[in-house]
Amino acid sequence: MTSRDPLQRRFTQTSRIAQQWLTEWWRLAHLGAVLLVLALSPSSYNPESRKILTRQIYLNTAPILVGFSVLCALVTVVLTRIVLVTAQSYGLSQYALQVVIRVLILELIPLTAALFVALRCTIPDGAELTAMQARGELDDMRRQGQDPVRREVLPRVVAGMFSGITLAALSSMVALVVAYMAGYGFTTSGIEAYVRLSGQVFSPAVTLIFILKTLLFSLAVALIPMASALYGMRGLHGAGVRTSTEMRGLVRMFAVILLIEVASLVGNYY
Amino acid sequence: MSTPPPPLSPTPLEPVANLEIKARLLLLFMLVLVCGSVLFVLYARGAFDATQRLVLMADDSEGVVVGMDITFSGFPIGRVRRIELADDGRARILVDLSAKDAHWLRTSSMFTLVRGIVGSPNIRAYTGMLNDPPLPDGAERTVLQGDANAEIPKVISAAKELIDNLNALTRSSGSVGTTLENLQTLTARLNGPGGALTVLLGSEQEAKKIAVTLDRANALLGRLDTIAAKTDTQVFGEKGVLPETRATIVQLNALLGDARTSMKKVDAVLQDAQAISTNAKDATADLGALRADIDANLRKIDSLINEINRKWPFARDTEIKLP
Repeated sequence: MTSRDPLQRRFTQTSRIAQQWLTEWWRLAHLGAVLLVLALSPSSYNPESRKILTRQIYLNTAPILVGFSVLCALVTVVLTRIVLVTAQSYGLSQYALQVVIRVLILELIPLTAALFVALRCTIPDGAELTAMQARGELDDMRRQGQDPVRREVLPRVVAGMFSGITLAALSSMVALVVAYMAGYGFTTSGIEAYVRLSGQVFSPAVTLIFILKTLLFSLAVALIPMASALYGMRGLHGAGVRTSTEMRGLVRMFAVILLIEVASLVGNYY
Repeated sequence: MSTPPPPLSPTPLEPVANLEIKARLLLLFMLVLVCGSVLFVLYARGAFDATQRLVLMADDSEGVVVGMDITFSGFPIGRVRRIELADDGRARILVDLSAKDAHWLRTSSMFTLVRGIVGSPNIRAYTGMLNDPPLPDGAERTVLQGDANAEIPKVISAAKELIDNLNALTRSSGSVGTTLENLQTLTARLNGPGGALTVLLGSEQEAKKIAVTLDRANALLGRLDTIAAKTDTQVFGEKGVLPETRATIVQLNALLGDARTSMKKVDAVLQDAQAISTNAKDATADLGALRADIDANLRKIDSLINEINRKWPFARDTEIKLP
């Protein structure tokens, strides 16, 4: 009997961990579905919530737009130059720009835009929501008959998604233009060939995967910090630094981003 | 268990000037960006281009993908829209040609599908006769195929054969090895006491003979030199053969002049002799006739005499004295 106790304890612990894990993921998925429905419901956009939404959209997007675009342009110049020189040394310069477009615009830019939005906007928003939760403001709202999800979480999530999509779209355009200038110089003679090359890269399947990836990245970075703030995902062993809400939320977010990236790579290249 | 951190005090919200307008502008910007991207991709894919259909028939369409360019003189003039199987099992490659570039293709245009070692295949169009009628819409043409990768096994096989041949040549018992050994022997002989001469003649004794012969030839040449010097004096010297000969020639010239004069006289004499001989010839001819007459007359006289002698009893001296 005594020899079975450690085994039983281990089994009980494992099943509890698995149950908690499943519960957290279910809550995340549920919150995401609720927020999507709310975002698509016209009733969510009354004047008061529009005001909050407007503010969040502006504050999450405008300050980081120029900075990220400039950073993106610099990285594009450097990367294009490296790829061009390397390809020329192998006699494969005709494939260089296509490689740059595929690697930079299809893969790197959506990922970096999402991570940038996460670092600058949605993780601080999550921290803000955690503070509100801790102060009891969300409970006060519930007592006043207001839905904190609709009032506080939805605008932040929508603003986060908007910021992610705008950043990805703008930096993609900037990268396309800068890659052209890095490859052809300040002339217009190569525009036709370059546009054609871009058209070859953006086939219907690739474009669809790119759009879906950008949307899912934006959703992931906007939603997960909110979920971890709302539901306070803690580890079984208490609120240590390693298992604090923020840390687990970050780990979960990166895991989801990684999964989306792998799925998009499989869809593009498998 | 560690105590949770105290809740953060709320930070006051900073007012944003013209927030509504800015947010709307941002929304508009995002919409323009997204719509512009969509339109750009559609334009880049040729969705707005007027096109003309071309059907290429190929035995193997491996590597051909939808969206691939067809080029003319290095410029893309169309795109592959669809690839399907024909009823005869061949691949049908449906190409949309840009209407503004379709005039480069004529009824006699040729199409090739070439696979390089690196990269995807290339579809190329060639037009030799630009005066031929333009290629009609929906035209079907067979594409000529070339595959660099298919040549690789042949090249490898040829390379293997070449390596085998080289191995056979360079083996120690092979012709190259033997030649090198002979070359070594030759070099040793060249570096030997006889040098190149031993190599040429085969042995040192023969080389020595040549050396002796050369010495003798040298001596002979020396003697010939002396003879030549003496001959020079004797032939070309003051009292040499040549001046004497020259003098003799002068005399001969004089003699020849005299002889010429004499010959002229002889020539005159000969001419006279020729005339005499001609006369003599004529006289001979007359003489012959005269003789014949004389003979005839003498016979007559003889017969007459004989007649007379027969008939005359009185014998007399029958001798007739001619004048």
